[in-house]
Amino acid sequence: MKKITIILMAVLIMTATLTAQEITGLKIIENVYNRPTGQDQEGDLTMALINSRGDERVREIKQFLKEFGDMEKKIMFFVSPADVRNTSFMYWSYDEAEKNDDQWIYLPALKKVKRISSDSKSDYFMGSDFTYDDLGDRQPSSDSHKLLREETIDGEDCYVVESIPKEEEYMYSKTVSWIIKDKWIGKKKEFYDEDEDLLKTLTVKETEVIKDYIVITLSEMHNVQKDHTTKMILKNVTLDTGFSDNKFTERMMKRGM
Amino acid sequence: MKQKITIIFLLLTVTIMLNAQITHHGFVRTYLGALTDQDGEYSVLQNTFDWKLDYGKGNVALFINPVFDYDALNNNLDISIRQSFMEIYFNNFDLRIGKQQIIWGKADGVFITDVISPRDLSEFILPDFEEIRIGTNAIKFDYYSGNSTFEAVWIPTFQATILPEENSIWSPEMTYPLMFIDYEYSNVEVENKLSESEIALKYSYLGSALDFEVMAAYMWDDNPAMHIFAQPDTTILIKPEYHRLPLAGASFSKAVGGAVVRGEGAYYFEKRFAAEDLSVNGVKEKDYAQYLIGYDHNWFGMNISFQFIQEYILDYEEDMRNDEFSNTMTFLITEDYLRETLRLEFFTYYGINNEDALLRPKIAYDIADGFEVQLGANIFVGEEGNFGQYDENDMMFMKVRYDF
Repeated sequence: MKKITIILMAVLIMTATLTAQEITGLKIIENVYNRPTGQDQEGDLTMALINSRGDERVREIKQFLKEFGDMEKKIMFFVSPADVRNTSFMYWSYDEAEKNDDQWIYLPALKKVKRISSDSKSDYFMGSDFTYDDLGDRQPSSDSHKLLREETIDGEDCYVVESIPKEEEYMYSKTVSWIIKDKWIGKKKEFYDEDEDLLKTLTVKETEVIKDYIVITLSEMHNVQKDHTTKMILKNVTLDTGFSDNKFTERMMKRGM
Repeated sequence: MKQKITIIFLLLTVTIMLNAQITHHGFVRTYLGALTDQDGEYSVLQNTFDWKLDYGKGNVALFINPVFDYDALNNNLDISIRQSFMEIYFNNFDLRIGKQQIIWGKADGVFITDVISPRDLSEFILPDFEEIRIGTNAIKFDYYSGNSTFEAVWIPTFQATILPEENSIWSPEMTYPLMFIDYEYSNVEVENKLSESEIALKYSYLGSALDFEVMAAYMWDDNPAMHIFAQPDTTILIKPEYHRLPLAGASFSKAVGGAVVRGEGAYYFEKRFAAEDLSVNGVKEKDYAQYLIGYDHNWFGMNISFQFIQEYILDYEEDMRNDEFSNTMTFLITEDYLRETLRLEFFTYYGINNEDALLRPKIAYDIADGFEVQLGANIFVGEEGNFGQYDENDMMFMKVRYDF
């Protein structure tokens, strides 16, 4: 009996040791990247831009996204403010790390769909605190990842992972992410500028489970250097409804929702 | 009379709005322009109410865009309908019938394959492009297959480009002294009949590797040819006349690295050009090509765009008034500041043949969402050419616009 107990304990210790050894920064970020999010998603996105005086400006967007094998397509229809109404933006991103994203914009005043430069990833989206790159899924292979420690935030056990970009001229010198164990979803992320000073903090405030998928419904990006915050609220989310592939075409960009 | 029309129109619209689900949006704008070479004389003092009304039910949509322009310098209210059409959506195709703006091509601010909607050039090319293009009465059919679109447009009645009035500061310079010219407009009308209608076809594709369009059209030249007749009393008689202009063209845009490369070209058959030779009444028919290469790039947060445009008259003859080759460049740089509430823009056309240019610096600031103030200038450089001829028309302007 003693022998069996010793063997069992040894197996448990070895398993625990192996698990601890296996989990690396890269593996954690890959798990986040590969977390199932559904084949398609539709929702109403509201961005509230809040300056240091507490003044608020609101942007409303209707968005659709869908997985197409090794690529993801996303289309956004701008609802407000009035001067950007009926503008649409389409974005195709690829799993292949070397392949640049494709982006088009439809401006109702020009009445044509225009392909735009994908080098604008470091630009801020609609004046918010999110860059275009912050809104996309960054390839795990684009950074070197290191598991720093484990921490508990708001009762959630998290891995803390530091990610340093391989590209020298990337807009952030590093990011530090708090990833909830087992759920493989971010709880918090810090972005550091070129001087390695803290620039922004992203906090996930609310999530919702829809059709077994965890969806972030309220997040907040705070620029600590400029004391400016963007709240991003996702409402009326539906997943895996199987809407048509034709949603992501020039026709829909011009026609609207 | 116009005020009555306005009131009737408003009443009708409000009545309809109360009875049906109509969405509406648009803008109100005050536009003030002053000529800097004329002691700041106002050239524009205009209030505009641009109203867009949409109605949709099932697979049918209606759209109307009335525009009310009050010219405070001449105390004149102008009411126009920029677009008014109905649209029917089917599974794989759409049909749009009515007055509509149709925009083709990949060029910015240059009209090569973009020949379907004529232009209002009464203020040269200074208004916003939405306002330069005239809605044309057309039936447009679009068939969709994946990322491809086949488009056919039938324009039953010809609509010419609106040229500046003779006494306008934007009236182009004349080759002959005005006192020796007589005009006869007997040939200037294009009859409203089926055989005089216009037709245009386009295939377009939008995809990861490349976006492109291929088009062909049997149109009228939107600008009349000036047929010249020498009179016995040493004056000359000019008879403007519109002519058919068949053309075929293509355009593309492609991502190269992080930038976008664009191209567009068209071949026009038997376009009429002005010439000295009065034995052919000062007009010669020549095939003509126009093409462009463009490059867009985001560089340290600035959007930069270059275009080089060349026009080429084939089988050129020395007495023609246009150059055999005309070269133009455009350059655009924009940058946003203060969370996209402040935008700086600099756009220029540069005519290489005549070393003339139009420089258009502009600063735009959003006081609140949808409430924008613009300050800018239109600076003409040179002595001749498309831009140099307006060297006396340098202008500062201010626009205050509220979108609702």
